[in-house]
Amino acid sequence: MDILDLSWWQLGIGFFILIIPAWILWRYKTGLNKRLGIATVRMTLQLLFVGYYLEYLFELDNAWLNAAWIMVMVLVADFATIDRSELNRKRSLVIPIFLATFFGIIVIDMFFLEAVIQLPKFLSAQYTIPITGMVLGNCLRSNVIGINAFYHSLNEHKERYRFYLCCGATRNEAVFPFFRDALKKSANPTLASMATIGLVSLPGMMTGQILSGSSPLIAIKYQIMIMLAIFSGTVLSVYLGIRLSNQFVFNENDVLDDTILKK
Amino acid sequence: MSNSSIFSLTNIDFSYPSENIFEDFNLTIQPGEKIVIKGESGSGKTTLFRLLLGFETPDNGTISFKGSDYSMKITHRLRKEVTWLPQDLNLGSGKTSDLIDFIFEFQANKDDKPERPEIVETLEKMGLSGDTMESTFSDLSTGQRQRVGLATCFLLKRDVILLDEPTSALDLESKKKIAELLLKNDRTVVSTSHDPWWVDRCDRVIDLNNGS
Repeated sequence: MDILDLSWWQLGIGFFILIIPAWILWRYKTGLNKRLGIATVRMTLQLLFVGYYLEYLFELDNAWLNAAWIMVMVLVADFATIDRSELNRKRSLVIPIFLATFFGIIVIDMFFLEAVIQLPKFLSAQYTIPITGMVLGNCLRSNVIGINAFYHSLNEHKERYRFYLCCGATRNEAVFPFFRDALKKSANPTLASMATIGLVSLPGMMTGQILSGSSPLIAIKYQIMIMLAIFSGTVLSVYLGIRLSNQFVFNENDVLDDTILKK
Repeated sequence: MSNSSIFSLTNIDFSYPSENIFEDFNLTIQPGEKIVIKGESGSGKTTLFRLLLGFETPDNGTISFKGSDYSMKITHRLRKEVTWLPQDLNLGSGKTSDLIDFIFEFQANKDDKPERPEIVETLEKMGLSGDTMESTFSDLSTGQRQRVGLATCFLLKRDVILLDEPTSALDLESKKKIAELLLKNDRTVVSTSHDPWWVDRCDRVIDLNNGS
């Protein structure tokens, strides 16, 4: 199958479709058009940068360089998780959440890329970068939901947490209901999309593969694998993110350091 | 400081960034005492409980529990020997029986897990029916939630109980039942209250308005 390339001016025409949502948002005075403009410019510049960078990365196809790029992606995801969770960039959060996301990604990458797909070349850029990016993007979304829910709920219901401590609970026992609720909230969107995939939506990765000439059956096999990777990666990184950060954000009397929360 | 005391606070200074709460505050609580702490809003009643439970640390002075000055080890031991009930207990939206069971799944309480008839009997002593066990906790009234909390404190069989406004949501009949259970035994009970009915029934009144 031939790939129908998209010329730059065709892509430029594509931007005109934004007139419709921009008009609706303006008509109802949502005040979102400035954000829409910034988000569109950012998306375009970021993807252009990544596109050129990936061309270079694919050409070199060096495992060390690919690993370094993954580290950069995890670092950006780390700060984005903390900011969007309405938490402060304190060392007690930055390091544990970085480690949690990194370990979550490494476990998933090693399992799917090296054990399942069995790449002919270790950390081959063509597979490693897109699959890591897809899993990481979803980890970021789940981490934001889970970590935000955990710490803000714990702060809001601190009397409940303290009541458990005064009933003899260890810190891990006292945070258990908050941890469970955070895991449920963060896993729900991925579970919902797994349950409707193919019926309600055709996912981006599968669509991209089909558009670039792959057989739909190959695309589906990859899509099933990526959904398994996304679900496992998100649950693992939320679990590790809360578990690891818990070691640093309580004082010796199990009181939460509330300076981690944005007021 | 007497070694036989339950709590001893000596020369305590404590302040929040915006206000001074305690200055050279002293208090000793002996075993079996029924103490009520009075005071206007902001006088330090809640802070005093937080200090006793190790959730706040004084700026100066020492706090001891059964003769041992506070440290991480003591605070953790204390929370296995003392229990505390907040004024408006919110344990989420689960079934009441599940929420009580959860507390007895803690490592420290596993061996003392009560059988269902004992839980129902304790709830009935508080003026609640056994059906409360099947109710969703968040659907209960404030007074019912408070009594479920008190029942949990009783089931934990602790010698020292700290209570935040224990009668604030109770009618006279319920208050009498609770007073009978809490005040007529060897337990040490420290409470905060604005309720003159409750204040009259306690052994000692600490008025934080004038520091007496």
